[in-house]
Amino acid sequence: MVKVTIDGRTVEVPAGTLVTDAARAAEVHVPIFCSHSKLPPLGACRICVVEVGTPKLGADRQPVIGADGQPEIAWMPKVQTGCTTPVSDGMHVRTASNVATKARKGVMEFLLVNHPLDCPVCDEGGECQLQDLAFAFGHDGSRMDEAKRTFDSEDLGPIVKKEANRCIVCMRCVRYCDEVMGENALTAHQRGVHTEISSFDRQPLACEQCGNCVEVCPVGALTALPYRFKARPWDLRQHITICEWCPNGCSVRLGVRGMEILRARGTEFRGVNQEYLCVRGRFGHEFVNAADRLTAPLLRTGAALQPSTADEATAFVAARLRDLAATHGPESIAFLGGEKLNVEEQYLLQKLARTVLGTPNLDARTRPAAAVAGDALLRATGGGRPGLTFDAITAANEVLVLFEDLQGEAPLAQAAVVRGFRQRGLHVTVAHARRVKLARAKFKGDWLGLRPGSELALTLALTKAALDLGVPAGVPGEVASALTSLQGSLASWTPERIEAETGVSGAAVAAAAKRMREAGRKALLFGRGVLEHAQAPQLLQAVENLAWALGAITAESSSVMAFGPHHDSAGALEMGLVPDTLPGFAPAPKRGLTAREALAAAAEGKVRALWIVADDLLVSAADRALVERALERCELVIVNEMFLTRTAARAHVVFPVAAFAEKEGSVLNSERRLQRSNRALSPRRGARADWEVLQAVARELGADWRYRTAEDVFREIARTVPGFAGLSYATLLPDGALLAGTPVAAQVKPVEWTAAAAGDGLWLLSGGTLFADGSLSSRSATLAKLAGAARVRVSPAEASRLGFAAGDLVELTGPAGAASYAVEIDDSVPAGAVFVPAPGAELNRLGVPTGGGLRVKARKATGAATVGA
Amino acid sequence: MSRGPLLFKDIDTPGLTGLDVYRKLGGYEAVTATLGKTGADQVIEVVKASGLRGRGGAGFPTGLKWSFVPKQSPKARYIVCNADESEPGTFKDRELMEKNPHLLIEGMILAGYAIGSHVGYIYLRGEFEYIQRIVDRAIAEARAAGLLGDDVAGSGYAFQLHTHLGAGAYICGEETALLSSLEGYRGQPRLKPPFPAVEGLYACPTVVNNSETLMTVPYIVRNGAAWYRQWGNEKSAGTKVFSVSGPVKRPGNYEVPLGYSMKQLIEQDCGGMRDGLKLKAVIPGGSSVPMLPAADLDTPLDYESMNAKGTFLGSGGVIVIDDRTCIVDALWNITRFYQHESCGKCTPCREGTYWMSEVLERLENGEGRDADIDLLADVADNILGKSFCALGDAAAMPVQGALKHFRAEFEHHVKHKTCLVNRRREEVAGVKA
Amino acid sequence: MSHGTVMPVDGPATLEWSAKAQTEVTDILSRYPVKRSAVLPLLWLAQREWGWLSTAAMRRVADTIGLPESEVYGVATFYTMFNLQPVGRHHLQVCMTLSCSLMGADRLYKHLERKLGIGHGQTTSDGRFTLRKVECLAACGRGPCMQVGFDYHENLTEANVDALLEKLK
Ligand SMILES: Cc1cc2nc3c(=O)[nH]c(=O)nc-3n(C[C@H](O)[C@H](O)[C@H](O)COP(=O)(O)O)c2cc1C
Ligand code: SF4
Ligand code: FES
Repeated sequence: MVKVTIDGRTVEVPAGTLVTDAARAAEVHVPIFCSHSKLPPLGACRICVVEVGTPKLGADRQPVIGADGQPEIAWMPKVQTGCTTPVSDGMHVRTASNVATKARKGVMEFLLVNHPLDCPVCDEGGECQLQDLAFAFGHDGSRMDEAKRTFDSEDLGPIVKKEANRCIVCMRCVRYCDEVMGENALTAHQRGVHTEISSFDRQPLACEQCGNCVEVCPVGALTALPYRFKARPWDLRQHITICEWCPNGCSVRLGVRGMEILRARGTEFRGVNQEYLCVRGRFGHEFVNAADRLTAPLLRTGAALQPSTADEATAFVAARLRDLAATHGPESIAFLGGEKLNVEEQYLLQKLARTVLGTPNLDARTRPAAAVAGDALLRATGGGRPGLTFDAITAANEVLVLFEDLQGEAPLAQAAVVRGFRQRGLHVTVAHARRVKLARAKFKGDWLGLRPGSELALTLALTKAALDLGVPAGVPGEVASALTSLQGSLASWTPERIEAETGVSGAAVAAAAKRMREAGRKALLFGRGVLEHAQAPQLLQAVENLAWALGAITAESSSVMAFGPHHDSAGALEMGLVPDTLPGFAPAPKRGLTAREALAAAAEGKVRALWIVADDLLVSAADRALVERALERCELVIVNEMFLTRTAARAHVVFPVAAFAEKEGSVLNSERRLQRSNRALSPRRGARADWEVLQAVARELGADWRYRTAEDVFREIARTVPGFAGLSYATLLPDGALLAGTPVAAQVKPVEWTAAAAGDGLWLLSGGTLFADGSLSSRSATLAKLAGAARVRVSPAEASRLGFAAGDLVELTGPAGAASYAVEIDDSVPAGAVFVPAPGAELNRLGVPTGGGLRVKARKATGAATVGA
Repeated sequence: MSRGPLLFKDIDTPGLTGLDVYRKLGGYEAVTATLGKTGADQVIEVVKASGLRGRGGAGFPTGLKWSFVPKQSPKARYIVCNADESEPGTFKDRELMEKNPHLLIEGMILAGYAIGSHVGYIYLRGEFEYIQRIVDRAIAEARAAGLLGDDVAGSGYAFQLHTHLGAGAYICGEETALLSSLEGYRGQPRLKPPFPAVEGLYACPTVVNNSETLMTVPYIVRNGAAWYRQWGNEKSAGTKVFSVSGPVKRPGNYEVPLGYSMKQLIEQDCGGMRDGLKLKAVIPGGSSVPMLPAADLDTPLDYESMNAKGTFLGSGGVIVIDDRTCIVDALWNITRFYQHESCGKCTPCREGTYWMSEVLERLENGEGRDADIDLLADVADNILGKSFCALGDAAAMPVQGALKHFRAEFEHHVKHKTCLVNRRREEVAGVKA
Repeated sequence: MSHGTVMPVDGPATLEWSAKAQTEVTDILSRYPVKRSAVLPLLWLAQREWGWLSTAAMRRVADTIGLPESEVYGVATFYTMFNLQPVGRHHLQVCMTLSCSLMGADRLYKHLERKLGIGHGQTTSDGRFTLRKVECLAACGRGPCMQVGFDYHENLTEANVDALLEKLK
């Protein structure tokens, strides 16, 4: 730590701290434009100029002490930029002296030389850093009344509006797009006073459309078209809550006017993401305002669903559940879904099932074809040991991504990797059948382009390669011996066999394992590619083995992060929304039915009531035919939904529920960070938070539930669930709390492997993409526009082999059915496979993935598209 | 007749661009005599002792700069020649390289040897494409003769040399901008520290020297520091090439000892002003430095004397301004240049140069206002010392110089809406004396 | 080109290096430890190959180095000597900076404008000449001067410049 004195205030800061940051610590305001916490110092805009002095040294190299007994200060002849000057011990800084003030006013005046005076029609007005500063420091009335240099305004695609005349050339947008997003969509054209930010040849931005360039623009040069002229910031109520688009758990600042969300922004120095948001977080909130939100409970009378009242629907549901339980036993009831609920609601859902109704049949994981044990994912990610944070990912030397396209499933994690690569020399290895973004040459990583279906084989091969380097240091004794015996079981994975089974060379696999093993700071990342794989149980066990073998999990800590399908999937596991573990992962006294088993039982009439919570099973479940039969046969289908989804349309009772931004609660992200999710606006008329729906039914069933708020529920969780002890809403502010607890016992054991049946046809690759992920993306105008209709993506090679051209309508036929999509040529797709982004594509019409996955036949279709067209 | 003590001594010798002629005149003797025989440190010591200062404008002691390069470093080290010669009024490097390319190559080899570099680049301004061809030919010759390559002159020292052509940007003369440009980025300056000697090209230790500086090195290495110090004075040792332009009888490059009288250079060597013209002002070191009035003509041409007069020796581009020239007009021309060349990275330079040229245009066109002169002075003051690199200062200093010595002309423009010396640039014919 | 907003001009859709250029590309890349350094040399090569830098030419350079095309565009537009629009057979670049100006550059330039009937940055209808004001060419001692393409012409007068234009077919 060093002492630095700024305008007379002395603060202690770590050596190397920049003067601007030290000033913040000393609560002295030093303005900045071009510098940004996620970008290296630039020193271009010069607004942060200050006077800097250091202790004068005498001949003896000792500070010269002046008459006042204080060290004499040698002031530098020129003003310095605070954003580029690291502090040193005894440094003095003046921000308010005549010299500093004149310099800063001078810069301020220069910034306005060519800046238009169009604040009244500028979207940034009211929160423009330039406007604020001009007000604080600037001259009154400009001395610059010559003609200003002017540019034409420009729409850079559907998101970004550019008014170059307002640009102050701070280069934040360009640098952020390059160093954090890895997109390089923006660049500076020309030079000098003609410098203009734009794209290659002024083309529409071909990028992730994240809008972070708009976010970091300190002026109104870049604004968001979807928000254009919608409101003035001072008309907006701003609420920070947690994004509901993915498990990263970014903080979004919603701008609300009346009953409408008008925009979403990040917030510098707040949340895991700070200013960062992906396109979904920034523009995906539109579904909350959607006109077709459900506003009244629906009750089925005969063929039709009729609007009803909350009391009527509640009474009806309670009565039917009561006598089903009475006549057929509580186990004739099953609860499905709940990953989209918040932690409090998940807790009450399982409490309603287990204690009020007494059924063990509940499972939030409705997508996977094969269910895994409730604590399997926890074990694979370190069993609850202190885990990986996003900052730790950025700081890692080596990152291994298993079978996941972070761009679609965990955008913030991708940004963390990109920034680590651009700024910290991070190296990334991506194991994925497709050449996803992070696998592109640009990021100078290694791509293990495995043959689709060989995920398990590659995982075993990596484990073998890791164990060939011996058992890693720092693993508990029992794990060490388990690894040793595991090694034996993997002996058959010779380089030749690896190549034969996976299409990846044994050498590449060995090198990747070695890099991870030897990296001081490492990160192992995976997600739905494992959890929703047809071989999920074996694969997840293999990943746990691999994590230990790579030293990614040690006795003390874990460097593994997993990404579930929804923003609170982790909470669902933590709260025991699975048939085999209770809240806090305690084993359930009696194992209930998994989602798949429950549906099968329903199809056979054994389960007679299904309560489906915020889950469009017909579209999302692996086995559509099974869901059809279950819904057909089931006596009572209850659905909690915001919209009349395909599944809801088949229900007997539909409860309209509140959106994420309309309710209080807490959610658990992929770091296992528990964060407050705040209510930004009151629920759509007629809709209630899920927990209120559940409580109403529970009370009707005679339970003595008296929760007035979600916080009441949380207090109970904190009392009863081990990992939550000592937590309260107060302790969750501002940045949430990383769950800690006694780790569950590791389970390292051999995985039996069976070669994928040598069927023919093309492998069907699926998964979320940036613009299409989750059933809600189609209900957000901006995302829907960006995503377009569902398409089948084919590699150029495969396309020419099959005689497909872009735009052709192609029919995919699987074991269970067929669907047709328009063709898109995509060189990131491997030959021998097709890629269909999951949401809206209803791939579960084609069949249930088994073994390595699903294979389909493709041929030019004649009729109209049956899906997505 | 010889045009100077060393650099220009034999410059007009026919065939000098060829290796044979160059060697006949003692070329590459310094290399053969030094490589593998004298230690690198000794070479640095000689250059230090010689008192050679950078000829690119900043006048930084060359030997000292070399000594900043870390002695042992796992990284590669680079020697880069700044042949961007873009400072208005300066055209010395061009003639030197055009006529004596091997001298530059020899200087690069010696500098490279001294700092332990095995690769050198010569960064030429884009307009010097024809010089690139001349230098490339010389490099090929030298390589064929074993003077470049894996084993320079049988000494075991390896040195590769390449030319690199800029594409039209004065800022690329600024050493860190030059390095950005050489790395394939927009030619914008970088933060200092770290200085290039520590983190330069590809973040490796790098020395950037002006062509003239490097071409002086072989003489010093061959003949010693004392010999070099026979010219010039204590602080400004040796000779320097001055490029004289403007309406004098014999404009051109002149190599003279530092401390030489500017009066003599202009009145004798250059034959004085064209007939009928009187000298009104002179810019001694390229358009970046404050101009001096005729009264200061006898200022000695060395670093200290120029500083004493509030200006700089700079690059040695001596621009002579005659009595028919309107200073406001001349200043507008200079300022327009800096506006055109501002890289746009920092605010004061990008906006300030634009603003100043707008004000000057107004003044020159007789639309000036009373406040304009103080405004101009204040804008210049707000740029000076606040910009990211010295280009901002280069734009501000001429304004301050002109206002200091010729304020009356500016006031006249405001009062009478016209030039004191009534002449529009368009009327000057290019007649030769 | 001198600075001022450049609006894109339509050019060819794609371009490939000629066999001869390809060997130069290889040679250029061999000079630098870091590929990116080849941007300027390759842009020069492209301009020599195709006369001006169309977006197709810049894309070709970007692919050759494996650089985002936006970055190549940013570099190409930073420097004044790259032609982002087609130019005439003879590119007249007249120095307007102080030393030349003192020697009559401004009048000479006006003369050229009048004679060719075009202004700064414009090209004669027959595609023969493009006229452009440029900054100091380091020929200050022999002003006024201009570069035609890369060739220097110094000590210009209205008379000898007329004679020169005659020769430039
Ligand atoms: C705006 C600007 C332009 C410059 N132009 C040149 C130039 O054209 N040639 C040159 O040798 N140095 C130029 N310099 C000086 C270089 O930055 C650097 O000091 C010099 O090349 C170092 O070499 P030297 O020590 O041998 O002079 C320029 C500096 C600035 C700030
Ligand atoms: S657009 Fe905005 S962020 Fe980008 S450079 Fe201009 S002012 Fe900076
Ligand atoms: S914030 Fe320091 S120079 Fe821009």
